[in-house]
Amino acid sequence: MQEANARESILASIRQNLAAGRAFDDVHKEAKINDESTRSTSLSRDELINNFKRNLDSVGGHCHIVSEMSEAAEAVFKIIGSLSATNIAISDSSIVAAITNGLSINVVVNADPEYLFASDVGVTSAQYAIAETGTIVLESDTERHRLTSLVPPVHICILQAGNIRQTLGEILEIVQSDLSRTVTFITGASRTSDIELTLAIGVHGPRELHVVVIDDHRP
Amino acid sequence: MQQVTSETFDQNARAAMQDPVLHSALRHLAENFGERRKNAIESVDDWEGLRDRARATKDEVLLHLDTYLYQFAANAADAGAVVHWARDAPEACAIVLNLIKDRGATNVVKSKSMVTEEIHLNKALEAEGIEPVETDLGEWIIQLAGETPSHIVVPAIHKTKTQIAELFIEKVGIERTDDVDVLTGSARRILRERFARAQVGISGVNFGIAETGTILILENEGNVRLTTSLPKTHIAVMGIEKILPRIADLDVFLKLLPRSGTGQNLTAYQSLITGVKRDANDEGPDEVHIVLLDNGRSRMLAHPVTRQSLACIRCGACLNACPVYQQVGGHAYGSVYPGPIGAVIMPQLIGYSKARQLPFASSLCGACREVCPVKIDIPELLLHLRAEITDGSPTTEKRFRKLGESLAFRLYGFLWSDARKYRLGMKAGRLFQKLIIRNGKIKKQGNVISRLMPPLANWTARRDASPLAPKSFREHWHDELRTK
Repeated sequence: MQEANARESILASIRQNLAAGRAFDDVHKEAKINDESTRSTSLSRDELINNFKRNLDSVGGHCHIVSEMSEAAEAVFKIIGSLSATNIAISDSSIVAAITNGLSINVVVNADPEYLFASDVGVTSAQYAIAETGTIVLESDTERHRLTSLVPPVHICILQAGNIRQTLGEILEIVQSDLSRTVTFITGASRTSDIELTLAIGVHGPRELHVVVIDDHRP
Repeated sequence: MQQVTSETFDQNARAAMQDPVLHSALRHLAENFGERRKNAIESVDDWEGLRDRARATKDEVLLHLDTYLYQFAANAADAGAVVHWARDAPEACAIVLNLIKDRGATNVVKSKSMVTEEIHLNKALEAEGIEPVETDLGEWIIQLAGETPSHIVVPAIHKTKTQIAELFIEKVGIERTDDVDVLTGSARRILRERFARAQVGISGVNFGIAETGTILILENEGNVRLTTSLPKTHIAVMGIEKILPRIADLDVFLKLLPRSGTGQNLTAYQSLITGVKRDANDEGPDEVHIVLLDNGRSRMLAHPVTRQSLACIRCGACLNACPVYQQVGGHAYGSVYPGPIGAVIMPQLIGYSKARQLPFASSLCGACREVCPVKIDIPELLLHLRAEITDGSPTTEKRFRKLGESLAFRLYGFLWSDARKYRLGMKAGRLFQKLIIRNGKIKKQGNVISRLMPPLANWTARRDASPLAPKSFREHWHDELRTK
């Protein structure tokens, strides 16, 4: 009841004050938003992949470009091996399952937080990526990867090259058309500069981000 | 720790200027963030165009804030979020407190949020026996130290790594180190235990999208994602001015905010959260609550000059650019929001009487206006507030001073409006100044001006003033130079 009153009184206060403010506007102009549509780009697939890789590299992420599923599996296996990781958590993505099925490793699908806190690597896929910033985009309605991409100290992400777009604007348009309950943009590893502005990696989220880009148009 | 307030800005500032540790930190901040920002801006084609679009979008929202706010609340509720409305800080704190108590929760984690600092949420929760844990590294440091943030983006900028190490040794028992990675690693380890058993997560909000009811939070550390993903209940506290009309508007604001704040093209994480999960088996909290806070904001809509204050996206660029902030740091302002933006919003939030010195803590150099990503004319706002504060509730002394000022300016206008009167005035000045010149200077110590005219003593108390030259340039020119 009190909160309903609060809503009414806040909205009333906004209207009253706006009305009072209009007296001070010499000429009351409605603000106009310049509705310049997002520049759509006509970059080639290779250019998009290269831009994505360059920008991901520049924020300290690792980009592995492969041409088919078996190569992706190899890349994932190599990363896991180099970390001597034993506890592997994966999301419920079919492409991740297909890749890890072929490997002789034990994985836990959609692990609970307790397991995730003790795990070494999380493997998910990403629905889209932004080339101009090196960003991967995770949609929660397609895949359960919210925690698997966040809690383990290393995140390996599988990305189909065809889902890369050049600009943030293009991605916002796509994301909005069928808006997931949670959309997460990830650019590089977790970081902080809170102590003397010194960069430290891996403060709360993963300290390493590997993106395996599958480009099946590659020769 | 000592409580500094805005009312004593003068003393706070003087004390801060004696602190060499603070000074080196502030210099480092200005150089580092200044340089990073400059480089990041260069990666955008049309920075000015982006700023204009951002401001136009904000103006559009503010002129129809009731409509957009209503739309936001309705869409958020449709997606399963519970929307609460709070007129002021006590109401907002009560809403959050009741949500926590009703769930019998005791383990509460928080991600960095200036609006919860503004309403002093932690104090309100602690008074009821709930100890919320700050999880942003900088916020956690100052929470352990029992301090307040001194910067809205890097809250612990005033502390050295040695001080932070001492703090960690004392409060959480780590081994001695001055390695930033080790310090950060300890924070990760300790705070993960808190995340693992947290029942409620409290966050702020960077943008609320009207057309979808989405809230968006930016960060670099990952603690926001943990806070909004792990606990069963997520409470987001949001000022009513944070609304943007459409998801598409993020294109502009996500280009401006990280570049202005930390000089990044994009922060490491953006979370766009729309309502609550669709299915009980999905990840994420069972409940999402959004607390919409007014707390003096709607009042700022009543004038086009003050209305600009609500366009602020809290990037902190004006702090880094401000020569006053660079000298005194954030704590001297004695307020939640320091620096130029603090100097304009604090008097409006907490009242002129409690923050009357803040709008005067500026040289009006305009550096803040130049860096502001939404083109807030902060100097214009400062002058507006100075006038309001000076004109408001006149006392006898003020009336007397006003009369004196108006007489002085009338005399000035009389003398300077006509060349002959001007020359006459100068001659008279040269004659009378002989009474107060010592060794060719009007001395700051014991001069007649300060004894005769108390208002001018504010100027002469710390400075020697230069006397009028025996001969003006015009006279020199006329008598000697012209013929050469």
